[in-house]
Parts: sequence; structure tokens; C-alpha cells
Amino acid sequence: MTALPRRIIKETQRLMQEPVPGISAVPDENNARYFHVIVTGPEDSPFEGGLFKLELFLPEDYPMSAPKVRFITKIYHPNIDRLGRICLDILKDKWSPALQIRTVLLSIQALLSAPNPDDPLANDVAELWKVNEAEAIRNAREWTRRYAMDN
Amino acid sequence: MSTGDGCHSDMDYSDDDCGYADYYNTAEDCDSEQINVVKADPEYTVCDYLRVEDVERLLNESVETLSNSLQVTPNVAKVLLHAHQWAVPDIIGKYRAEDSLPGLAVAPEPADNSRFLRCSVCLSTYGAEHFRGLPCGHLFCKLCWATHFEVQISQGIALDIGCMAQDCKVLAPEDFVLNLLARPNLRDKYQQFAFRDYVKSHPLLRFCPGANCQIIVRAKEARAKRCVCNTCQTDFCFECGLNYHAPTDCTTVKRWLTKCADDSETANYISAHTKDCPRCHMCIEKNGGCNHMQCYSCKYDFCWMCLGDWKSHGSDYYECSRYKANPNIVNESEQAQAREALKKYLHYYERWENHSKSLKLEKQTLQSVKTRIHLKVMNGSGTWIDWQYLLDAAALLAKCRYTLQYTYPYAYYMEAGPRKELFEYQQAQLEAEIENLSWKIERAETTDRGDLMNQMDIAEKRRTTLLKDFFEL
Repeated sequence: MTALPRRIIKETQRLMQEPVPGISAVPDENNARYFHVIVTGPEDSPFEGGLFKLELFLPEDYPMSAPKVRFITKIYHPNIDRLGRICLDILKDKWSPALQIRTVLLSIQALLSAPNPDDPLANDVAELWKVNEAEAIRNAREWTRRYAMDN
Repeated sequence: MSTGDGCHSDMDYSDDDCGYADYYNTAEDCDSEQINVVKADPEYTVCDYLRVEDVERLLNESVETLSNSLQVTPNVAKVLLHAHQWAVPDIIGKYRAEDSLPGLAVAPEPADNSRFLRCSVCLSTYGAEHFRGLPCGHLFCKLCWATHFEVQISQGIALDIGCMAQDCKVLAPEDFVLNLLARPNLRDKYQQFAFRDYVKSHPLLRFCPGANCQIIVRAKEARAKRCVCNTCQTDFCFECGLNYHAPTDCTTVKRWLTKCADDSETANYISAHTKDCPRCHMCIEKNGGCNHMQCYSCKYDFCWMCLGDWKSHGSDYYECSRYKANPNIVNESEQAQAREALKKYLHYYERWENHSKSLKLEKQTLQSVKTRIHLKVMNGSGTWIDWQYLLDAAALLAKCRYTLQYTYPYAYYMEAGPRKELFEYQQAQLEAEIENLSWKIERAETTDRGDLMNQMDIAEKRRTTLLKDFFEL
């Protein structure tokens, strides 16, 4: 494997020294491009109180290509599917090399506060979110309690 | 085929550097039959079949015109042309009136060369002379720009490469990319992709969809008309690049093809190649294109599509192509409606698929016609030229059946009403004449030439009438 680019070293250092509130990202001890991430559910959202595990991987041509991010903890959200894949524009066509790991994780946290059922990845969840928001929010709370609390 | 020949001669003329406009202005002394084809066949359109070099020259002419009249560099002209679909007069009008070129200001120069800047992409610090930026003013180091371009080009992106800053929509012009790209093989790739992007953004140009074909077709008007590549003979629609499909329009034919790809497993059992004779139940394999069948065993004449007596198909009551919907269907159960929907689709799909098969079988007929002609000529019954009309007849049959095939998706999506009734009437008329023609060609030894020529004329008239109606919509 080629030497780690300066950009990745710098970003990792900053993530360690000035962590973002509510987010922890730790590089794997065997692979500096693989991060173990924990995002806390935002206040006043159905995910409040939950701790959500994610994995984040920086591909070979990072930062020219977007990092690959996936939820490992099960979550009931219209823009996140059963496999934990995330529908977020900056991870796809709106990626810019000027974005960083921290901005990506902040955007994901913001997505938890503001689900967007009009641009769904999990169709059944999005459908319920549109026709019966109260029930969808109840489900999200239930899943948070069941999968994202304790351990 | 007459359209093909027409296009060949266009190519010849475009080669000696006078465009099709000159060719048709001086058309009086050209073959007048050629002109008649253009006028009579509503599918026909005037087009040139160009090589990459020709198109490069053509595009460069537009770039030059624009850069001269707006007093901008050729690179800025290219960006404008690409963004405005190569409408030179529109662009000139727009920017002359505004007296400015928004978004195309000169890139900012870093003020002080002794200054050090930090690149927000690689987070390294370099002297300001290592930084470059687009007119938006976002500066990044040259190395990061080069890597950014490499990654984008490796994904096939060229003219849509933009600034690296978040939410910045400013695009990088060709010279900016080429100046910063280090690797020569990527420069070549970039230029190839850029050329592709230019052609794709030009409303009057289209790459020939034929496999590995390098030809680019230039049409006089951007309409869904028929093009036949003069090099690989691929027959396609100028507007969408799919197989030519009049009277069905581009969106409908795409819907139809997707539907067929999804649903046709259900229809597969139907497309078995054999059917039983409706009278003597002898198993019959269809080995010709004509749908007027005659049982070898009992000599019964019947229609391959509906298995009905052929007698009812020769007259004005030819209705085999028409789908008869159950008028009471809205009151039926959901299952009955689903069954009816499938029945309707299968009706159109069967006919679509059947004509497609007939086309293939008639290609074999053409081969046997050629052999037959050869034998005749060798046996001294007439000269080769005496039998040419048979080849013309086969070509015309293919053309007519092709149109007929593409009437089915159109009819499938048509709303019920008088228009549909009229269309299906015309379709039925065309179908009847095509089957007559096919029947006559397959038995050309026993029918006389005049009769066949007459049949050809009728079939082609039916085809053009149906198409004219469509093109005038």
C-alpha cells in the first residue's frame, strides 16, 4: 500500500484532537483508511438517545472521490436502507474534494434530524413517513430503543 | 433501398467540400427520381454521414465564427457553444445585447508571489505561484487540480468537470484542464471525451449507433427521421438513436421496448414457431414472411395471426390487426381486468413479434429470389435486368413490413377514439396489401410483372399515407 497522503494524516489528527460533538471517528489499527464511527442520535429526533455505529472507508483516490459510509446499526429512516446504505447527495454527485470526513459525518447527523421522504432509499419507510408521520416516528423510536441503546 | 442510395450520394457530395445545401440548390441537373423519393417518402430526411475529421472541422468553424464576433478566445467560445447547443446566432444575440460575458471573467491571479497559501484539498502549504483557479476565484494547488482531473476523466467525464469547491458550479474550460494535466495519455482521453461531449450537445449531430462505427450523422433538422449509415448500414432514428420506429414516437417506442423486455416471458409460449392447420390440424411451420398461409395438406387458405379464413382478409373487412376491447370491462372484477390488460398487450405483442419474424424470414426469401433470378438468367429466360423488379419488390416489402411492425406499439398506447379507429383502419389496409405483396413475391414465377408492380405501388402508397398522417400530427 502506498504511503498515507498528508491530507488523511492531517484530518485524522484533527478528528482526534478536536472531535465533533456527538460524533466519534477512530481509524482501524490495521488500516488507516478505515474508520469506526459512532454518531449519537440528535436531540428532538426519534433517534435521540441512540448510539449508531457506522463504518467509513476512504478510497484510493480520496479526496477526489467521496468516502464510502454505511450504517452498521439498524435504523428506521427513509434515506437509509436495510443494508445501512445512505442516500445523501454529497456522498454521490455533490461530492467536492474540499469536503472532509467531519463535514460528511455532520451531514449524516443532520440527515437524522431532517429525514427527506421525497428522496427515498427505503421505499416502505418513506411511504409511511409521508402518509402517517406519527406512526413512522413511533417505529423509528422503537427501532432506536431496540437496536441503538445498551451495548 | 432508396433511402440508403440517397444518403450515399449525399456523402459523395459532402466529400468534395460542398454541403447538402449546394447539392440541392443545383439539383435540377441531378437525377430527378432522387428528388421524388425525398418528397414522396415522409420518413426521408437529408443527412450527411461524416467522419471525425469532418466534424472537427465543422465544429471549429462554429468556434471561429463565435470567437471572432464576440472577441473571445476559442476556449471561451467552446464553453458557450457547448452550454447553448451550438446555436451561434442565439449566443451572439444574447451576449451582444448584454454587452458582457457572465461567468467568463478572467481567472484571478494570486496577488503576491511571495505569499504562501494552504490548499484546502491536500492541506499542504505552497508558494502562491503553485495555485490556480477558475473565474469563481477558488484557488487550489496545481497538483490537486491534476489529480481531480485524472479521477474525473477516468470516470468518462470531460466537459462537465467543475471547480473543486463545495457547491461551486463553474466548469473548467478545455485549456485550463489541458494546461494542468500532466500525463499525455490522459490528455488524449480528455480530448476524445470532450469531442464526444461536443457532438452530444449538438442538436444536429449524432454518433452512428452501429457497433464500432466511427461515422457521425448530420441532419438538416433535429427530428425523428430515418438514417441509414452509409458505412455500416445501421438503420436508426436520428432523434433517439434506437432502431427506426415511425409511426411510433421516440418515448413510446422506449416504453414499449422496456415493457416487452419485462413482460415477454409471459408471451413466449405464444411465439412458438408452429401452429396447427385450423381445418385439417396438420402441424405447420411458418418458413416464409407472408401471413397468408396455405396448408400443404388440405390447401386451406388461412391467416397465421388469427387462424381465420383468409377470404375475410382480402376484402375491406381486414380486421385482424385491430384489437377488440371488451366494452363492459370497467364493470368486471379486478382479475378480469388484469386478464383483459394482458390479453390486450399480448394481442399487440404477438403482432409486433410476428412481423419482426416475418422480416427475418423475408430476408431468406430475398436470398432465394436471387438464386431464382440467377437460374432464370442462366436458362435463357430473360436477362438479369429483366428480373430486377423482383429485388426492388423484396426491398419494398421489407420497408413496408418494418413500418407495419412499428405501428403496433403506437396503436397499443393510443387512446380509444375516432383517431385510433382511423389509425387501425389504415394499419389494416397496409397489412392487407403487405400480405398480398409477400404472397406474390414468394410465388413470383406465376404472377406477371405488371401485377406485382401494381401491388408494390399500392403497398407503398398505403405506407406513405399512414406515415404522412403521423408526421403531420
